[in-house]
Amino acid sequence: MKPFDERLDTALADDNVRTGLTSFQRGWRESRDTMIGALEEQEGRSFDELRQEFAAIKDGVRDNWDHYIDRFTANATAAGATVTRVGTPAEANEAFVRIARDADADLVVKGKSMVSEEIGLNHYLEDVGITPVETDLGEWILQLAGETPSHLVMPAIHKRKEQIAELFTRVLEREFPPDDIDRMVKVARTELRQKFLASGIGLSGANALIAEGGSIMLICNEGNNRMSVALPPVHVVTVGIEKLVPTYADAMKQVRLLARSATGQPITVYTNFVTGPRPGQQQHILLLDNGRTAMNEDPDVAAALRCIRCGACANVCPPYGVVGGHAFGHVYTGAIGLVNTEFHHGIEEVAGPQSLCVSCGACAQVCPTDIPLPMQILEIRQDVVESGAAVPGGRIAHLGIGAFGHRRLVDLGFRALGIATTPLRRDGVTKIPAIIADREPFATRVGWRSPPAIPVRPARDTLKRGKLAEPTPLDAQPLAGRRVQLFLQCLSDRMAPEIPIATAKLLRAAGAHVMVPREQHCCGLPAYDAGEQDAARDMVRQTMQTLEGIDDVVTPASSCLAMLKHDAPHLLRDDLDGLERSQQLAGRTYDLISYLTAGPGRLPAGSLDNGDRTPVTVHRFCQASNTLGRRDAIEQLLRDVAGVPVVPLPEASECCGFGGSTSVRHPEVSAGILDRKLGCVDRTETSILITDNPGCILHLRGGVHASGREVRVLHLAEYLAGRLPDATSADGSPDASTNGA
Amino acid sequence: MNTTTAPNLLQRFAARVTEASSTYLEVAGWQQVVEHAGGYSEVVAIAPSLAAAQPEVRELLEDAGVRVVVPDGDDPAAEVADVPVAIVRAEMGVAESGSLLVSEHALGDRVVTMLCHRLIQVVAASDIVDRLEGAAEWLAARNGQPGFASLMTGPSRTADIERSLTIGVQGPDEVDVLVLTATDPTATTEDDA
Repeated sequence: MKPFDERLDTALADDNVRTGLTSFQRGWRESRDTMIGALEEQEGRSFDELRQEFAAIKDGVRDNWDHYIDRFTANATAAGATVTRVGTPAEANEAFVRIARDADADLVVKGKSMVSEEIGLNHYLEDVGITPVETDLGEWILQLAGETPSHLVMPAIHKRKEQIAELFTRVLEREFPPDDIDRMVKVARTELRQKFLASGIGLSGANALIAEGGSIMLICNEGNNRMSVALPPVHVVTVGIEKLVPTYADAMKQVRLLARSATGQPITVYTNFVTGPRPGQQQHILLLDNGRTAMNEDPDVAAALRCIRCGACANVCPPYGVVGGHAFGHVYTGAIGLVNTEFHHGIEEVAGPQSLCVSCGACAQVCPTDIPLPMQILEIRQDVVESGAAVPGGRIAHLGIGAFGHRRLVDLGFRALGIATTPLRRDGVTKIPAIIADREPFATRVGWRSPPAIPVRPARDTLKRGKLAEPTPLDAQPLAGRRVQLFLQCLSDRMAPEIPIATAKLLRAAGAHVMVPREQHCCGLPAYDAGEQDAARDMVRQTMQTLEGIDDVVTPASSCLAMLKHDAPHLLRDDLDGLERSQQLAGRTYDLISYLTAGPGRLPAGSLDNGDRTPVTVHRFCQASNTLGRRDAIEQLLRDVAGVPVVPLPEASECCGFGGSTSVRHPEVSAGILDRKLGCVDRTETSILITDNPGCILHLRGGVHASGREVRVLHLAEYLAGRLPDATSADGSPDASTNGA
Repeated sequence: MNTTTAPNLLQRFAARVTEASSTYLEVAGWQQVVEHAGGYSEVVAIAPSLAAAQPEVRELLEDAGVRVVVPDGDDPAAEVADVPVAIVRAEMGVAESGSLLVSEHALGDRVVTMLCHRLIQVVAASDIVDRLEGAAEWLAARNGQPGFASLMTGPSRTADIERSLTIGVQGPDEVDVLVLTATDPTATTEDDA
């Protein structure tokens, strides 16, 4: 396989990848959601309950792994199979070649098997003079093209029909019109049938190994797998030991989840249960470890062994949608590939791909086995950082995070930057002089997003006691007599002070006594996202110390809440005292929207209705949806409390592209994600985009400005503060001109 | 309607079968199965296991002037390669998914369902179960005996090119699910079980 940088460049240079995958992801999402909804209705249980039930079955197997391996082996052997355990890819390949030599076979027909990709079987066979022929249509296309799968289930999904028609025309030496997909599909039947009949070995993978009867479960839609199992005189199964389930009934639970998550079908056309060889045939089952036992011994990633290879994690992944699986993954693609590659292929192979993850959490939402992929990927990222493996932007990130830990240094740096860039401040952004902006690589790497204007004074200065006029109180005073500690969020404090200032105004107008702890800095999320867990722990601890007490803590940044509620307990799992304190803090910390809707700050309907009916749309911060479980709270508040029409944003919960450090490490990828988001905003035909995470806001504002769109991007607090009785234009009221285009 | 099959079970089965792009038909007995098959082709393959268990099916077909292929020779694949129509008997139908559980251990049985263009799957109404667990019970009851059983749900398909669905790929292009709803004089006692 080519090096990561090359694969990434190739993907970014091919427009087909992004266009094709965006359309694929959208179509898949619709089918999958419909199917899962129907499943919930059929079973009378939620997707969460169903996947947790199956996850528990898979975990139970690994708790007694040897027992189930032995049981499967005994039963399969009794049915006539030869079961061989193989440790490494080399052992697996050698075992396969021995079987081929014994059978005097020089042609192998292959059903789809990711394990055969994992061990690099095709190359190995070709080197020893045995010809492997892929028989799954997608795999066959890739074999003809000399490529590897870019997706676990849809191996050739990165290719457009025009490319496939051109490939067939060239290789098969007859004309294939690009619009005749039917003809391209059916040629597989005629081209491959003879191979099935002539081959000495049929290879298949397995979707499950059923210990109870020694059967393998094998699913397919095309029917090719059935032929590669049945027709040749020898059937070889290459399969990972994590595929075990105890019983046939357990396998049926997998069936219910698998096709719905993989292709958005209720069930695949064929679900085959193969027990031993057919009369007159030999069957060999190669049970592969290749890092699986080691993975099981690492509690941070062991749950990834539940994976049933449905590919759903790729289908919702924003960076995957831009670059595809050749860059986003190694042999295993999508989010799961960022986790298991370290164990199957080594840390060097995952160093590049893992840097593409935006930590949006979408994969964990759709995973049918409930694998906590986002958290696992951050563990892998930490391993990568510690290993010193080469990773894009790694050194700069390490230095940056190190420096960012020092609050005073950061304060000084931003103040200095604010002064230095004062002459460049325009329309809420920093206008880079053309002499730099037009020059490559700056133009491509940074030109798609105007950098934010850096103020000379951070929010904490403006919010010093007595500096800001008391706002006119609202009629409703839900927060009367309540003390609130405002957690500013490190970025907005120094790069978008209007956000915490608007938050403070709003809380004060609702009756709160707002305090701004002076020593506050950063919750640690950027460090955690960068794989610098020691630095992240230090920052969480510093934040806990700063926000000590019993008062409510409110932040305009949902990302900080996600950090404190979801990630801090994980980071502090070995520090019982710290863990308890973090949970205590998380218990009294709110992001603004939850404070105003589910918390003590509930505002009555219509209390911020100033009569303005300009429609707005809402970007849902991805982690708020995926990690905190928030749904349409902002939209509801805007409709009920502000009385404003809200136009639903398509793909509202998808990442905007800022996530993690992607926008810095991989600006072209981030730009691609942002472009998809802004395209959705265009479809709403609204001119006000509201969201509640400062990172998203800076990113979206920069993108809106650079693309010349007439859209104002506002934090919820700014928008609501702009509807207070004594609002000025700087508070985000519709005539304000400080933000956006 | 067979009294042992709840009507809504059959209805749900029929709905799922149709959603899977198969054709659903209720028939009174094997005579109607034969007429259905003969309506499509003058050559019909039947699975060797069916030919052995219910020899009258072959007789009925031949009486109707159909040439019958039973691939039980040395090269069964060659005998039925691209045969226009084939008939197979399913162990059970699953209402939840519209699947037919077909047991086909021997190569002769397997090539019939793999290589034909139109596959006629025959199942007794009394063999239709509610959920996939019914199929799991059947599999578990085999107690590890060698075998090959497939839940078949519709004709073969792919969406490997641009996620565009194409029906009829390497397996059958058409699948007809024929449900035997009543016993008739030519049916074996198995149908009444």
